[in-house]
Amino acid sequence: MSLAAEAFVSQMAAAEPWPENATLYQPLREHQILLSDCASSLAVQAYLRMCNLPVRVSCRANAEYMSPSGKVPFIHVGNQVVSELGPIVQFTKAKGHSLSDGLDDVQRAEMKAYMELVNNMLLTAELYIQWCDDTTSSEISRPRYSSPYSWPLNHILAYQKQWEVRRKMNAIGWAGKSLEQVYEDVSQCCQALSQRLGTQPYFFNKQPTELDALVFGHLFTILTTRLTSDELSEKIKSYSNLLSFCRRIEQTYFEEQDRDSQSGASHHSKGPSLI
Amino acid sequence: MAAPMELYCWRGDHGLPSVDVDCLTVLAYAKFAGAPLKVHKITNPWRSPTGILPALKTREEGSFSQPSKIIIQLRKQKYNADYDLSAKEGADTLAFVSLLEEKLLPALIYTQWVDAKNYVDATRRWYAENIPFPLNFLLPNRMHGRQLERLRLVRGDPALEPGEQLEKELYQDALECMTLLSQRLGSHKFFFGDSPSSLDAYVFGHLAPILKIKLPNNKLQQHINSLENLRQFCNNILVLYFPSESRELPTRKVSPQAEGGDFDNEPHKRRNQILSVLFAVGAMLGYAVLSGIITIKHTHAQLEEPHIEEEEDEEEEE
Repeated sequence: MSLAAEAFVSQMAAAEPWPENATLYQPLREHQILLSDCASSLAVQAYLRMCNLPVRVSCRANAEYMSPSGKVPFIHVGNQVVSELGPIVQFTKAKGHSLSDGLDDVQRAEMKAYMELVNNMLLTAELYIQWCDDTTSSEISRPRYSSPYSWPLNHILAYQKQWEVRRKMNAIGWAGKSLEQVYEDVSQCCQALSQRLGTQPYFFNKQPTELDALVFGHLFTILTTRLTSDELSEKIKSYSNLLSFCRRIEQTYFEEQDRDSQSGASHHSKGPSLI
Repeated sequence: MAAPMELYCWRGDHGLPSVDVDCLTVLAYAKFAGAPLKVHKITNPWRSPTGILPALKTREEGSFSQPSKIIIQLRKQKYNADYDLSAKEGADTLAFVSLLEEKLLPALIYTQWVDAKNYVDATRRWYAENIPFPLNFLLPNRMHGRQLERLRLVRGDPALEPGEQLEKELYQDALECMTLLSQRLGSHKFFFGDSPSSLDAYVFGHLAPILKIKLPNNKLQQHINSLENLRQFCNNILVLYFPSESRELPTRKVSPQAEGGDFDNEPHKRRNQILSVLFAVGAMLGYAVLSGIITIKHTHAQLEEPHIEEEEDEEEEE
């Protein structure tokens, strides 16, 4: 969104309260959605629940194409459409709901930096594993990504997406990494997050912020997704404070509000599960 | 510990030890960690062991190219500037480096390589003047294409074109990033206490080009000049760890103050102009003589004949 449009949208957004029929769009849960998209979507859902803003989740096969920036998830609120966590946080801030108001400057700098850490390392690693690892790509990613479409469109779209992601990996220097190195990077990232979290309930002590939502989205999805190997989720399981962090957020924000009959353990799959 | 390692990087200019972000990062880290490196400042990336700069060449383990790999290699050789950091500070390092790469680097790439005026007037000119013949015709354009491609892929938009809107978005992110770094640094000398670490190397590597390289369109430079502590931070590192480079700067600054880069070129320009005019005139005259348009001997003979005729007339008259 251009700056002028953003300012205009913020003004319009501030004028109206949060409507009841706000909707979040993501790809099909059972058959289409991939690990990285699921993580982003869960992060946004967690953030909105933390802000106490009701939103309905709607699954569409063409969610990626409907989105204004080409990335999922996106929310449709009133007559505005906003995609990705960063702009959604700004949008809700314009409406007067913010989780990070209580932070001082240094803490806000750290929060933004850690959010970029998750985007830079975890999200990129997820994309790498999904599309640059041949086994995962052929067994999971390509079939799932192209499942709503018929031949030959499914092949074309799947290979196009794979090619695009591989080129991106090339440009940022990840193409030369082996799968082992990527797992190592994920481990380092989790170690950094674990260090920062320490023994506190949330990253900035008592109140959750958008960083908590983002970390929860990614970690929970990795833990509850079955890929060709379990190594990724094993890396996270080795940090007990991250596990309890995920469980805590799940219990506080997802189970209480849903009142579903789910057990407290985050090992059971909840919501999207990739086979 | 082991045999001396060699580091190949881009040459420096404008008071910096190197003009490239990654090279600056690696040079700074090497100084902070006290690693004895033999530094080769070259302008031809094809001469580096891996084909790109910066490149670290070790005797036993081959060559490495990306800053993160080079720093890991230096750490393996026990040159570790992060030895004193606590685990939390190590985590903060990873986070802030990610912040730099996601928010500041795209704007840096844009301002040096994609913004049309900056690219043509400053970046391409520098690289074309400094890369040896004949690569200086080939490489700057190729680097430009690669950087534009990288920006497109990172933003996820294959049809990205340089324009005001993109510029505003990138610069907004970059300005915010610099403000955040300034807030995090506060009034400390380095990010983690009194001795520099790898985060300081990364921040220096990204901020020093913004601070020192003069570009026609320099919104980033204006912003960083308003952040006093970041400016102090960069100048501090330059003075403490790269004193030979920063000593060059005052003498260079005095002469081109009024007219910028052109003044340096002027004496040569004038001489070149005169020489080329003389050469052209000489070539034209030579061609004229050789092809018969001007004939010097004939005019000389004509001058003599009327003189003889006059004498004959005089004689006849008498």
